[in-house]
Amino acid sequence: MTTQGVNTRGLVFLAIGIAVLIALPLVVTSSFAIDIFIRILLFSFIGTAWNLMGGYAKQLSLGHAAYFGLGAYTSTILQIDFGISPWIGMIAGGVVAMLASLPIGWLCFRLRGPYFTIATIATAQALMLIFLKFRDLAWGAEGTTIPNLGNAPLMMQFESKAAYYYVVLGLLAVGLAITWLIERSWMGYYLVAIGEDEDAAEAIGVNAPRIKRDIYLISSFLTALAGTFYTQYIYFIDPATAFSFNISIEAALVSIVGGIGTLWGPVIGTILLETTSTLLQSWLGGSIGGVQLTVYSLILMAVILWRPTGLMGMMSEAWQRYTSRKPARA
Amino acid sequence: MWETVAQAVINGLLIGGIYALVSIGVTLIFGVVKIVNFAQGEFVMIGMYISFFLANQFGIDPLVSLIVSMPVLFVVGVLIQHFLIRRVLGPNDMPQIFLTFALSLLLLNLALMLFSANYRTVHTSYSDEAFHIGGLYIPVAKLIAFVVAMLLSGALWVFLHTTDLGKAMRAAAQNRDVATLMGINPNRMFCVALGIALALAGAAGSLLMPFYSAYPFVGQVFVLMAFVAVVMGTLGNVIGALIASLLMGVAESLGIQYVGADSGLIVVFAMLLLTLAFKPTGLGGKAR
Repeated sequence: MTTQGVNTRGLVFLAIGIAVLIALPLVVTSSFAIDIFIRILLFSFIGTAWNLMGGYAKQLSLGHAAYFGLGAYTSTILQIDFGISPWIGMIAGGVVAMLASLPIGWLCFRLRGPYFTIATIATAQALMLIFLKFRDLAWGAEGTTIPNLGNAPLMMQFESKAAYYYVVLGLLAVGLAITWLIERSWMGYYLVAIGEDEDAAEAIGVNAPRIKRDIYLISSFLTALAGTFYTQYIYFIDPATAFSFNISIEAALVSIVGGIGTLWGPVIGTILLETTSTLLQSWLGGSIGGVQLTVYSLILMAVILWRPTGLMGMMSEAWQRYTSRKPARA
Repeated sequence: MWETVAQAVINGLLIGGIYALVSIGVTLIFGVVKIVNFAQGEFVMIGMYISFFLANQFGIDPLVSLIVSMPVLFVVGVLIQHFLIRRVLGPNDMPQIFLTFALSLLLLNLALMLFSANYRTVHTSYSDEAFHIGGLYIPVAKLIAFVVAMLLSGALWVFLHTTDLGKAMRAAAQNRDVATLMGINPNRMFCVALGIALALAGAAGSLLMPFYSAYPFVGQVFVLMAFVAVVMGTLGNVIGALIASLLMGVAESLGIQYVGADSGLIVVFAMLLLTLAFKPTGLGGKAR
């Protein structure tokens, strides 16, 4: 499995993959295609952030939009009201999200299983309502557009879509690297132990509340970075987009379909779901509301009923057969 | 002054009756099957559309179409338990949460595709009628909905406490293993619990139709209330869910009256957060 050391064949594949990803915008110039790649990378990244807590520790949050929104609003407020670059705002947003995750986690972790999930939904919704209601805080329900400065890399604004592609590719790389490191650390093992059986983990001395708090900090920090990026990319922010329940859903969905608690699961899941959704849109013209989520929910049900380990479960078997295609080591 | 308060309390109690039907269903499923049905709100939505189409096509009063929506949803509940939920029952929470969540997404988006996002209303002869008592205003349609909701809740209580099937369900809820040893077939109990819970959601939908609009997302309003009520009323406790639902209806209504028209939900979330902070086990008993 992925917890084994890195083998050479794996490294070669990784290097080829990275080279392809870096070269992609140079080869593909259609801005429609780049837009899809950016969506795939962005949701892979959000899924990766969700997966740290939802996948490894099985704390199934459906409220990650809270941190996406906090990140988006923090950097936008800093940029518009104080002229601070979103690059700094992005980190500030991450810190705000981390601070917010402490009281939210303190409340939600009092519940387990499905009621934890409901409490996370409620907190994200409550945050959205706060931003809708208090106009003095941040533009109320109308939201605001981000002033377009043309090509201003220092303000995270670019004329070419390829630049955004590289930014989000970098974010995903950071997310995957953090996951990779955690997977191999004592923390990764504690997380999996909590995910398997929290009471048993505590009985053998895992400080479950502390571990859950720490992973929630990391997960919310990363999710907030995605919020800043997205706002800069679409040049617009309002509570309905920034705290959209769909963000929370998709973060969980891509991870479960891809395979929760695995490094590449969220990436694989996003590729499948986003490709499906793009194909659906081009066939149906995107005119009928609800088609995309209908298909998503059918995929989700199929995965849960027949393939609870997700696509990664299927793929890792095939992959392992390939990477260890030496004389059988028994 | 007291009249505004009394009016807000009455409004809250009347809608709280509907919340009670939804949350009793949620807590019944949680108590017996030990899962949370994220799709409960969508069955309220289906109940509403059933009543809407019966009223629209055949001129049947929504209160009469209760006798259609309840059995239809009872059967749907049995089928969902037997063909879907039964397959994911186990020690792991993840499949249960995301199966019913996927079901909720599916039903909601199917409704969006089939019926569009338009608001559908049914106008009955009593939709605009109201009793005036003193300075208080009591809409007939809401009063009927409240009374029927309380009657159904009472009927469920009688069923759970006097019939063999009801006692068997309570036994299965208290200790599944022992109940199984006593010869109770758990899957049969689960099917009945799902059936009753969905029938109650369907009833809520039909009762709402004379004074509320049907649209694909309507269930989300009620399911959030139900979840909060179920947490406040102690998970799995039917009477607790009923009382908490009425309280939440009143709290929401007072919030609308004194904080602002769009503040109902904020008050409800605040109540949830306060409950979690100070009494995570609910108003009585012990949470999981």
